[in-house]
Amino acid sequence: MKKSRLAKAGYDNAKSLLDIVREIGETAASLWWRFFDWLAQVEWRKLIIIWLLLLILGLTPFGLPKQTVGFILLSLGLKVLAGGKRKAEIEARDATSHADEEGLERRLVEARMAALQAQVEPHFLFNTLALIGQLIETDPPHAARIHQNLIDYLRATLPQMRAKGAGTLGRQIEMSHAYLAIMQARMRARLAVSVDVPDHMLSATFPVMMLQILIENAIKHGLEPKIDGGRIDIRANVDGQMLQVDVIDDGIGFNVHAGDGLGLANVRERLRMLYGQRAQLVIEAPLTGGTRASIRVPYAPDIFAEGVK
Amino acid sequence: MNPQSSALPRRATALIADDEEPMREQLRNRLREAWPGLEIVAEAANGIEAVALAGQHQPDIVFLDIRMPGLSGIEAARMLFNRCHLVFVTAYDQYAIEAFEQGALDYLLKPAGGERLKTTCARLQTLIGRQPSNIERQLGALLAAQGKPARPDPAKPEYLRWIQAVVGANLRMISTREVLFFRADEKYTRVQTEQSEVLIRKTLKELADELDPDEFWRIHRSTLVRVDAIEGVTRDLRGRQMVKIRNFSEQLEVSRGNTHLFQQM
Repeated sequence: MKKSRLAKAGYDNAKSLLDIVREIGETAASLWWRFFDWLAQVEWRKLIIIWLLLLILGLTPFGLPKQTVGFILLSLGLKVLAGGKRKAEIEARDATSHADEEGLERRLVEARMAALQAQVEPHFLFNTLALIGQLIETDPPHAARIHQNLIDYLRATLPQMRAKGAGTLGRQIEMSHAYLAIMQARMRARLAVSVDVPDHMLSATFPVMMLQILIENAIKHGLEPKIDGGRIDIRANVDGQMLQVDVIDDGIGFNVHAGDGLGLANVRERLRMLYGQRAQLVIEAPLTGGTRASIRVPYAPDIFAEGVK
Repeated sequence: MNPQSSALPRRATALIADDEEPMREQLRNRLREAWPGLEIVAEAANGIEAVALAGQHQPDIVFLDIRMPGLSGIEAARMLFNRCHLVFVTAYDQYAIEAFEQGALDYLLKPAGGERLKTTCARLQTLIGRQPSNIERQLGALLAAQGKPARPDPAKPEYLRWIQAVVGANLRMISTREVLFFRADEKYTRVQTEQSEVLIRKTLKELADELDPDEFWRIHRSTLVRVDAIEGVTRDLRGRQMVKIRNFSEQLEVSRGNTHLFQQM
């Protein structure tokens, strides 16, 4: 009984001793590889300085001149023979992981952008279809025009039908016309619209669906809830290197307790992704009432300008 | 089916309320076909007008669009339900349609017409001359679902979502989602966003009372920080907790009394 317990204890001792030896071995190996990687990557200039310092230390009375020289020769040999290959390996590995990260980041941004782009509101769609139904009976040519406007609007708005990449200001205004024409048919005299954008700015790069979101907001939150309705003005101007597009309404103005909804948060987020700090969404409450929403982006008038970066 | 209603349609009066004129025209035309004996005595372009005209004309039936300026169809209904029979009209209001089904309220989908309109008219014909049913409870539930409680709930205050700041000659609206932090600065409060820094007259105390306490934390007597903007908390050499803000260089001190906010971090 006692004997076997002793034997077991001895066995345990031996086992833990083995573990310690193995651990020391592993640590030594990992230290060696760390040293090896360091040696492969270190600049020659730095290495030579270290050797010089070691030599000076080694030549003092307490030093070990033989070992120092041995170390210097060993590291020199390693650096010359294996260093180049190892260095290339490490660099290639770093570059790959970096490229993966960048690719992933870009895909992530693209996916978020797609999710952020505006959706067609069912309420708008059903009301417009009801309107077309009514116009077919009373005013067929008008019905055909609104029908065409709805098609244009859906083409511009449905994410799967929308053209990829950045749009131009002209194209964005064109798309807004379809929406505004539909809303004017529905609201009749309650909605007046004016667009004041100089022709030479129409070719400027302007992100898709942002003007649309500002206009929809102005109507939905500013003018539709106002009994008499009102007017909406769309203006563009260039100030230095920046293009500013304003959407101004004289609606019921701002409710400071209402959340800023998906629309504006969406515009802000996309501007940040596209331009970083160089673009801005500004919301103001003019003293005359209503709301002014402005988007400022770097002015890029060339229609052949690729992208926005 | 009531033989009287199909053979000899009763005469009745109705009011149509819809902010979109083409939609009023549509309902008027379709009603004329479905119920020739129904006289449209007035049309309203908003909820307030609907209530006023209903008081003036005392119609038997009121057709109410749900989304209208002034008063919504449901708000108007709360003022009319014991005087006339109500029919709601909507193109798409999913929450309302479900509530109508549950509360047995009458409703039509735009464009109204066909069998559905005939069924509604037949039902209304049997109701003419009777006291409208009390639907106050259903309307209260509908208003709550719409996000407008019948009575403001004092336990659930409305939080400030926009900061008004005078910038030049304009009043700028800054979404609280853009704000990184607020900092007391003598008589003013500094509003810091990623892109700008403005001063407002509101004190930090007023802001702390009006803002959503889950959105902004008071980490110091003079600092309110947006929780989402916090990147991390570190300790400086003097042992103070410092809040690091995302995409911003300035670090903000956490006062001793507020270190509990970051105990778990």
